[in-house]
Amino acid sequence: MKRLLLATALALGFATSAQAQTVHILMETVPDTDYIKALLPEFKAETGIDVEIEAISYIDMHSKLVPQLTSPAGGYEAIVVDFYWVAEFTKAGWLMPLDDLIKRDNVDTSVYLPSLMNLVGKVNGTTYMLPFYNYSMGIIYRQDLLNDPKEQAAFKAKYGMDLKVPTTWDEYRKQVEFFSRDTDGDGKIDFFGTINQGQRGDCICMQWSNYLYANGGQYHDANWKATFNSDAGVKAINDFKDDIAKHGPTGAESFCFDEASAVFAQGKAYSFVTFNVLFAGFNDPANSQVVGKAGISANPGGGLNGGWGWAIPNSSQDKESAWKFIKWVESKETIKKRTLAGGAPTQAWVFDDPDVVAKRPEMGHLKTLVATAQEFPTFSYTVQMVEALGRELNLAVTGQKDPKEALDAAAEEFNKLAKKDGLQK
Amino acid sequence: MAAAALTTNEIIRRDRRFGWAMTAPGLAALMLVVTGPLLLTIGVSTCDYSLLNPGCAGFVGIDNYRSAFEQAYFPESILVTVKFVVAVVAIEFLIGFTVALMLNAVTRFKNIYYPILLMPLLINPVVVAQIWRMFLHPELGIVNYLIGLAGVPKVNWLGDAGIAFWTVVMVDIWHQVSFMIILLLAGLSALPKEPYEAARMDGASTLQSFFHITLPLMRPVIAVTLLIRLIFAIKTFDLIFIMTRGGPGTATDLISYFIYRSAFYGLDIGQASAISVILLLVVLALTAWLYRYMRSLA
Repeated sequence: MKRLLLATALALGFATSAQAQTVHILMETVPDTDYIKALLPEFKAETGIDVEIEAISYIDMHSKLVPQLTSPAGGYEAIVVDFYWVAEFTKAGWLMPLDDLIKRDNVDTSVYLPSLMNLVGKVNGTTYMLPFYNYSMGIIYRQDLLNDPKEQAAFKAKYGMDLKVPTTWDEYRKQVEFFSRDTDGDGKIDFFGTINQGQRGDCICMQWSNYLYANGGQYHDANWKATFNSDAGVKAINDFKDDIAKHGPTGAESFCFDEASAVFAQGKAYSFVTFNVLFAGFNDPANSQVVGKAGISANPGGGLNGGWGWAIPNSSQDKESAWKFIKWVESKETIKKRTLAGGAPTQAWVFDDPDVVAKRPEMGHLKTLVATAQEFPTFSYTVQMVEALGRELNLAVTGQKDPKEALDAAAEEFNKLAKKDGLQK
Repeated sequence: MAAAALTTNEIIRRDRRFGWAMTAPGLAALMLVVTGPLLLTIGVSTCDYSLLNPGCAGFVGIDNYRSAFEQAYFPESILVTVKFVVAVVAIEFLIGFTVALMLNAVTRFKNIYYPILLMPLLINPVVVAQIWRMFLHPELGIVNYLIGLAGVPKVNWLGDAGIAFWTVVMVDIWHQVSFMIILLLAGLSALPKEPYEAARMDGASTLQSFFHITLPLMRPVIAVTLLIRLIFAIKTFDLIFIMTRGGPGTATDLISYFIYRSAFYGLDIGQASAISVILLLVVLALTAWLYRYMRSLA
């Protein structure tokens, strides 16, 4: 019996000491998580620290993270933070400021693209995160059609302008109209100029933001008063509706990015405004009929910015090991390997790295896309605002509410939330 | 034979003590996992409680209840929920009872059709919703492809405000109707045979037997089946969350998803708890009414 007790105590002792050398991270099931998982043995060999990544789908992440962050002894040594949650997490005091560690170890944070450092790095001058990957939005289109001399001639004849990577919203919409075609002569469009992601909630919010920016609209003024219920906002809704009705597949008002990208992957569409991280998937023969045919460019007027940051929660049980991991995962060597595998980096230099560009010719366009991306309003109630705006946009797009009325209703809720958060004076 | 010497009273007392002993662990567990959270929810519903700063930041009385009705689209959500519950329970009952009556006459192949019937029920609702979302993809889904072969134009299953509600009802029926069938079938097969034989001797038609024997005898089973299904239907969440997110617009915005949004998007746990308590009261009232109705039949 004594021996058994001793053995148990020893086993427990080992278990706790082993725990101290394991970094647990909750991550989303996305390609960049897989790329990092594949590189983990290198980190183990270098430092002897185990990293356990628990990858789950996005919708469960927030509700799984919060109890761990509020507990005095959280289960995650390091976490990844979506830009949606930045204000909430920092305001609640869940994240550890990294400035002292950055200074102590001479970590160069100037390598990050400023658009991403602002989004998922610094909050009011304090660095809480190192930017991990970006999911900024842009236009994914069929390069083979764009470069087809026959199409180019027909486009020039019809619109009096060249068919090329679009730099203005008007130019892009002409292309969308041009490529919307009825190929089997049944009177209905079956090759689509664009595909909308109109599902109520964040799907429509994210995609519509690009329409808003492209029309010159903004979400709010310097005093956090809503401005998206402007003429530009109404025009953005009308463009969106127009695209669903005339240039897109049936049912796009209920699509999220997965349904939309399935249509594009089947070779049934010319383009769509979406997350740049989907691009790599279209070159995967297992899931795509358009391998090698897709191109990507920035949204005219700037697309919607999106990204994740690495952070150490205050509830972390082993902050030093977590920091070691973050330093390693954001080191030049690891970043380059991840980007070569297809990742979406946040450091500026890697977009111009000759080896990376040789393997991924779209890097130049991606850099512009990320650098010109615009920020969605991030504050403590971002998630709630997305819900309200998503509902109103979807009401307008499905013809149940007048666009201006819908935007006014969303603006009223936005103003209320901005006041509640102390942003609007 | 000591037991033989016991008085009736002692036996009853012993039985009672034994009963308590047997149920105590279960009751304790129930107290812990049901009553505890329930009381906590009622407590939180009178609090200013935000996830941003977990904890009761002050007693607000019935403010959370009052403000629930002032929330945008809360009345719409209640209306949609009532419509949904009535639709799925009524249609599932009609289909379920018809199929159960038909199957009750079939004595062979029970071990074939039972598993087939049970199959949809065994699938997790999230999976059901995902599968149907793929089936119903307007451009790439198999449903529109098949009806296209028959010359029917593409249906906008989830994107049209008028259709989406019925699409979700249809998927729910597909998923849950076998629950009705199985329960009603169990009830039917337990009915005594004698009344039917007597009725046949008296020359009653099949229809007469159904209305005068089957229906009255089945009433308690029907009441329980409807009650259970009703409670489950009110709680429907997964289908909506995966398939429509309450859209298009507010066409499928069920109350459970409304509560989820208050809690996890609005971060307002006080508000969400208040709406949950309101929902609980409605369900309780329904249950009490059905229970009394059943007692009145007995």
